[in-house]
Amino acid sequence: MRLPPLDEPTRSAHWGWDEHRYFGHRVFEELAGRESVAGLLALSVLGRRLPPDCAALLDDAAGALTLADPRIWPLKLTRTVAAYGHMVPALAAGILMQDEARIGPWAGLEAAKVLLVIHEALAGAYEDTERVHEVVDAYLREHRFVWGFGTPFRERDERLVAFLPCVERRGRNQLPYWKTMEAITEPIRAARKSERNIGIVMAALMLDMGLSPTQIGALNVGLMQHMFFAHALESAAVEGNVLREIPEAYVAYRGRRPRLSPRAQAAEIATLVPTLDVESSTRRVG
Amino acid sequence: MTQPAPLDPQFALEGPLEKHSFPETLTARVVTPGAHPRLHGYDVEADLACHYDPTDILSLALTGELPSVNAAAALRVALTFLAPVSIAHASVHAASLARLCGTASGSVIGVAAIGLAEQARVLLDEHTELILWLKAAGGELPARYRARGEADRETCRRLRAALEPTGLEVPALTQDPAREAALLSVLFTCGLVRREQLEAAIVTARLPSAVAEALTEKITNFGRYPINLPRYRYEELP
Repeated sequence: MRLPPLDEPTRSAHWGWDEHRYFGHRVFEELAGRESVAGLLALSVLGRRLPPDCAALLDDAAGALTLADPRIWPLKLTRTVAAYGHMVPALAAGILMQDEARIGPWAGLEAAKVLLVIHEALAGAYEDTERVHEVVDAYLREHRFVWGFGTPFRERDERLVAFLPCVERRGRNQLPYWKTMEAITEPIRAARKSERNIGIVMAALMLDMGLSPTQIGALNVGLMQHMFFAHALESAAVEGNVLREIPEAYVAYRGRRPRLSPRAQAAEIATLVPTLDVESSTRRVG
Repeated sequence: MTQPAPLDPQFALEGPLEKHSFPETLTARVVTPGAHPRLHGYDVEADLACHYDPTDILSLALTGELPSVNAAAALRVALTFLAPVSIAHASVHAASLARLCGTASGSVIGVAAIGLAEQARVLLDEHTELILWLKAAGGELPARYRARGEADRETCRRLRAALEPTGLEVPALTQDPAREAALLSVLFTCGLVRREQLEAAIVTARLPSAVAEALTEKITNFGRYPINLPRYRYEELP
């Protein structure tokens, strides 16, 4: 007896004899040699190709996002897993930690949600200072933390400073979500003493490209993976990697003090008083 | 192309992280480092290993305290009920695919662990209201967590029978719960009350069977794998 087929539609891909399909494109004829890595990444996330100037801006962004000091927590995590010598599990761990993390690529998703809410409330009144303050104040009353703002350990996000000229050069700084982002920067800075970071800038750019917050999170993950590769590979190749087991002197224990379990106590008592019923005393104290 | 000016070594080695002070040591809060580990204060080799079993240790690790005899026995029952996950489930199916592809055994285990953690996350997402109900400790079990049919009721009858010798009272079991709700209620009554504790216990219970199932797959057995389950229907936008 043949089972009825379980069908699932896909727009992603099909393996043909001489040509493959990828989101409606012929791979060899339309994509190979014609689309950049950033463009392919965007196609994979959006299911459609971005115009060349947008794909080029993503390339600019990937460069500007390259803050890859091995001490940065997600990258340190990657190096730590790679200390066992395999880069792929380390890379997988590095990607996995991005899920709902407060820092890293996925934060762009949350920053996009902030912009969507404020953009809708602002309804195009970017230049109406009073209205902008009203909308921002209302948002801040309901949210203690504003995604896309905050520059830990420094006063400004240097990546953003480097990236802004690219945005201007490609003429992406006159679009609706960009204007919303620009309009709310000063009121949030004043209210929270907090500078915008590259997360909200990427969110504004990508919302203006027509991406959803989830797509923004995914695209950010893709655009920042080169750094995880770097640390997974480098750390995996280190002979006698100190991260595999940090020397004991570098670990401070702050947990429970030494104690004896109830059953060990009962056993001790039983040793001292051989006639005691160990099992029943264990039940009482255990 | 113009060559950039060489970096001033002093400038190149300074940045925000050089301007702040950070601790010099990692902080351990559960396991003492070194040759004679203690878990939440108990000597593992001289005490716990002599007097407790892995279920007790799981409970101690996750809650910080050893379970009572009743709770440990009930926890053992619940974890056993939770242990099997068939290849029909995405978690085990994914691990089996990893094995099929010839993935390193450590990574097969890693894939299984990720899949099981996702499966547990979804289970807990679906039971958020149940956990709130358990914390409130009263009232009627929300209707969505009641038994959906005879299979659920049969499982609950077996669960109650297995729990009877433990003497642990699980009030939710008297309210005709579905299988998952019943098992989560037992775990909760055993002291695993936080979402993360429940997720960790479920993954721990299921990992051995998931890995075992995956490791039975023959490496590169591609021709025998049902590649069209499900059958993907490629569609292009007009």
